Formats: sequence, structure tokens, C-alpha cells
Amino acid sequence: MELTQSQAEQLLYREALLIDTGRFADWLELFTPDVEFWMPAWRDETTTTQDPDRELSLIYYKGRRNLEDRVMRLTSGLSTASTPLPRAVHQVTNVMVTAQDGEGADVSAAFTCHRFDVRMNRADCFFGRYEYRLVRAGQDWKIARKKIILLNDTIPTVVDINAI
Amino acid sequence: MTLRLSDLIDDRPTDGAFRVNRAIFTDPGVFDAEIRRLFEGGWVFLGIESQAAGPHDFFTTFAGRVPVLVQRDGEGTLRAFVNTCPHKGARLAQVRQGNARLHVCPYHSWTFDSAGRNKAIKWQKAGCYAEAFDRDDHGLKPLPQFANYRGFLFGSVAGEVTPLGEYLGEATKLLDLVADQSEDGLELVPGQVTFTYEANWKLQLENCSDAYHFTSAHPSYIRVLERRQKEMSGDVVASVWENSDYWKEEAEGVGGGSYSFANGHVLNWGVFGITPAIPLYERAGELAERHGEGKRDWMFNMRNVTIFPNLQIAENASSQLRVIRPIAPGLTEMRTWCIAPKGESAGARRQRIRQYEDFFNPTGMATPDDTVSYENCQIGFAGTVEPWLQGYARGMTASVAGGNRFSDRIDLQPERSVLADSQLCDETLYHAYYRAWAARMAGEFEA
Ligand code: FES
Ligand SMILES: [Fe+2]
Repeated sequence: MELTQSQAEQLLYREALLIDTGRFADWLELFTPDVEFWMPAWRDETTTTQDPDRELSLIYYKGRRNLEDRVMRLTSGLSTASTPLPRAVHQVTNVMVTAQDGEGADVSAAFTCHRFDVRMNRADCFFGRYEYRLVRAGQDWKIARKKIILLNDTIPTVVDINAI
Repeated sequence: MTLRLSDLIDDRPTDGAFRVNRAIFTDPGVFDAEIRRLFEGGWVFLGIESQAAGPHDFFTTFAGRVPVLVQRDGEGTLRAFVNTCPHKGARLAQVRQGNARLHVCPYHSWTFDSAGRNKAIKWQKAGCYAEAFDRDDHGLKPLPQFANYRGFLFGSVAGEVTPLGEYLGEATKLLDLVADQSEDGLELVPGQVTFTYEANWKLQLENCSDAYHFTSAHPSYIRVLERRQKEMSGDVVASVWENSDYWKEEAEGVGGGSYSFANGHVLNWGVFGITPAIPLYERAGELAERHGEGKRDWMFNMRNVTIFPNLQIAENASSQLRVIRPIAPGLTEMRTWCIAPKGESAGARRQRIRQYEDFFNPTGMATPDDTVSYENCQIGFAGTVEPWLQGYARGMTASVAGGNRFSDRIDLQPERSVLADSQLCDETLYHAYYRAWAARMAGEFEA
């Protein structure tokens, strides 16, 4: 069964809602155990890094287990930078299913995330593109790969997984 | 400025007192003087040679406020220029790095070759220029001082400075510990990360040397390490801390310490073993053969080096090169890279990169807890009811002149040293920063 436009949109919107409302355990459930979660760095003005094994990324994880660590840190109350958690809301748009095959589908989208850092009384906006690989898991679709291309990569103090 | 230096730095060695006034982090007059006297008045780090490795390669940076172009010409000579067009001042090279035989100014097309010579003034003959114009040099203005220490490039906007080797002094040996990790030298892993924080540049200067904060500011990172240590699965990012007690409160015995050097350079360090968690492990034998065991062991130790005022090389969770760029009293830009020995195996490089991202990135699990603390300090500095800070006093009775048995192993001769267990967490190494600071800033103040 093919991924419909509406299914793709619903999954991406749900992901955004789960992050924005702090339901991180449910958010983690959206990923396959061997998910690749990748936000490349920029090599120069025009190209991002392409090979995570030989070039630097802003974030690179293979395995949901590492995202669980990130969530643990974010919600532990032990991280000054994450306490109190900034408020954030994602807008996910331009959702397109770009490829389909037997196992899954590729989806691309654009995002903006507005983050309000209550600690510093400061609002920032992060924006870029998403590239997803979605795979079937029973009745559901799961995220097997998420690539985040952050366009404004001069980081104002901190960017965590809840603002991209 | 009507302040006296002693109003800002209270340095009384015979009383065992060293205090810093909060104003040095917030005062616009102090900041302006720092830019002129420290960042535009002497040697600052510009970049590493591999950023412009081939003919006509270049990179851009800043020395204080001064935009700088470091450019290699066709014959291989590396030079530093002020990155501004002599015509009407437009920034010449617009990008952070690139390759250009010729730089054509985007404003009126004056053209310069990769040796900085003017090659064309558009419509010069028709320009009705007077002789006075012809007498001027129309080439790019070289940065008054530019020097290369083993691939580390430094420049100075001020022409009258001590030679670089003298300025670095014994700290050259700390750079050697980085440069000698490969016979081919070092390189920056592609992918630069830039971040800002809303606090003074000296907070970054100090934090790099701050052993005291680790268990307080990074408990969430430590918890992640503990979880990973229990699991030892191939799925998680391996950490160099796994095999070290350095950060554990209960560790006993000498775990490291600090060295301070003339001109404000400092090192704080901790004993790391020769363990496979460190990407350099694959070369442990070879490095011992080439450089001796003492120097090899030092390459494996945790080391946070500051070359005053703007270069830091941190080799702990991974290996980071940072350049500090003050923008305003309460705003700093950090340009950061993963620095690595050339020619390491694909597996070692991957491990280095993964460890780096997790710990050092502003999108990782440790650095944000530092930079947010800097911002908390900057807010707190407004609390001038008591202007003097008390964060320069730990280690006061442990600090001794000269080195110790660890520095002797590589014939390193610091001005002062502290040997520390895991809980001493020396703060006297900051004195080297502020003594250099005071010496260079003295002319700004009333006697
Ligand atoms: S400013 Fe460069 S050519 Fe005019
Ligand atoms: Fe830290």
C-alpha cells in the first residue's frame, strides 16, 4: 500500500505536535529502532556536509537509543540550558511524497520553528527543510530516516532537538 | 576612562588574594580598550594552514574588528591582507573560504591577484587621475604582522610586536602536542559550526580552563555517559570519558592540574590512559616510537589549551579548535571546528566526529549548559552591590612556581603549576589571563 499525501502530512504534523507539546515518549515511538537522525553542518556558504563519517554534522545519530538519551537529558531537569524548557511551535509545510517503493516512501517538507526562551526572554526562529524516509509498520508508518537541513546555522547559544 | 587598574584586578599575592571586578565583563569602555589593545594590539590566531592548502586557496576571518584575508599565491606563499578594497573600502572576499587567482572587487571591479597585487583598475586611462593617485600603492594592504607556527597562523594589526615564537614561549610545546599527532600535520574536519552567546568573551576564556564546573553544569551529560557505560552497545556513541575517572568526584590521587605561562597562555589537563576510546589509540605505539613515551602520554591526556586571547584547543571528549570573537561586552561569536591529525583511519575519524558532535556542538549535550551559564553570569554581573568576584581563589595554596614531574616529561617549563586531585579544581590558572590582561591594558588606566 502506498503512502498517501494525507498520511504523509498527518505523520509530519503529528510529529511536530508531539514535540511542541512535550510528549517526547510518544515522539520517540514514531521512529524505527535503527533510525538515522541527521542534521548536517555547512561545509561552506552553499553546501552542507554530505558524509557523516568524514565530515561534521550538527547532529548525527544512528539508532533511536541515542534520541532517547537526548530526550532524557532534555527532560531531566539536570541541564541548565533545558530548564525551563523553551516554548516552541513548528510549522511544517510544502509536504511532498517524492518517491515510493516496496518498503516505503521518501517525503520532503519545509519547516519553521519559533522558539521562545523564557529564561532569556528571547525569541528565535529556525528554518529549513526536512527529508524523511518513511517505512510501513503494520497499519502505521514509521520514520526510518530524518534529515534536517537547517538553513540559519549560526546558532544563538543553543539548538536542541525540540527546535528543529 | 577614570578607572584605575587596581579597581578592576585586585592581585595581592602576598595576601593570597586575587579578585576580579564584574565591570571587566560589562563595561563598554573596558571592552573597547580590549579590542584595541588585545585583539588589534598584538598577536591573534587567524586559522590553520590547511584552510588554504593549495595554490590560490584563501580563507577569511577577523583580527578584532579588522576583516582579514589569508591567501596563498600560485607559488605557495601564504600571506595575510586586510580584507578591504583600497578603492572605497568594500570587503573584497565575501566567503569564508575559497580559491581565487584573482579577486575582483564586486563594487567597481578593481582586481587583485593572489599575491595581493593590483592587476586592474577599471578604465584607468580614461579616469583622468592625477599623479598623486599614481604614486599610491593600489594593492591590498598586508596585515602588519603574519606568522606561522607549525601550521597555526597568527597575525597582528599592530606592527610593533614581539616575534611570534617569543609571544607563544613555552606554550609552543602545547601546540606541538597537537601538531605532532601526525607526520602530515593537522586538518579541520569539513563542516564549521558557529554560535553566539549573550555574554562576555572572557567567560569562554575562563570556562575552557574551569575544571570546577564539570559535575555541576553537566550532570545530564554525565547521566547519559553512565547509561551508555552500562549498556556498551554498538548503537550508542562511545565516549572517551568511559575509561577515565577524571570527572568522577570520588577519584583519588593526582588526576591532573594546571600550568600557566607568560603572556596569558594556560593549560588545564587530566590523566587519560592510552585507551581505545581515544581515536589516537591506533597510533599509540608509533607515536611513542617517534616522540618518546612521555610526549605520547601527553598527547593522550585531556588537555584544554588557551593561547591568549582568542585560540582554544580542547582535547577531552574529542578534539576542538575554537576561535573567540568578541562582538560586544555582552555578545560573543564562537567559530568552532573538529581538529584532527591527517591520515587517521576511517574508523578513528568517525569515532572522533561522533564524540565531537555529542559534546562540543551547540546542538549537542554539553556546550549549551556552559554557554547558558555564561549568560546567567552576564545577567548576574549587573549585581554590582558587591563588585568583586570570588572565583579566582581555589588552588591558591597549591600553586607553585615552575613545573612538576609531569611537565618534566616533555621538558615543559610553565611559570606556575598546580597538581590536583579531582576535587581541587584550580582557579589560579585564570590569574595568568588577568595578569597578561592587566599588563596589556595598563596604558588605558590612571596610575
Ligand atoms: S570599492 Fe572596490 S572597486 Fe570600488
Ligand atoms: Fe563545560
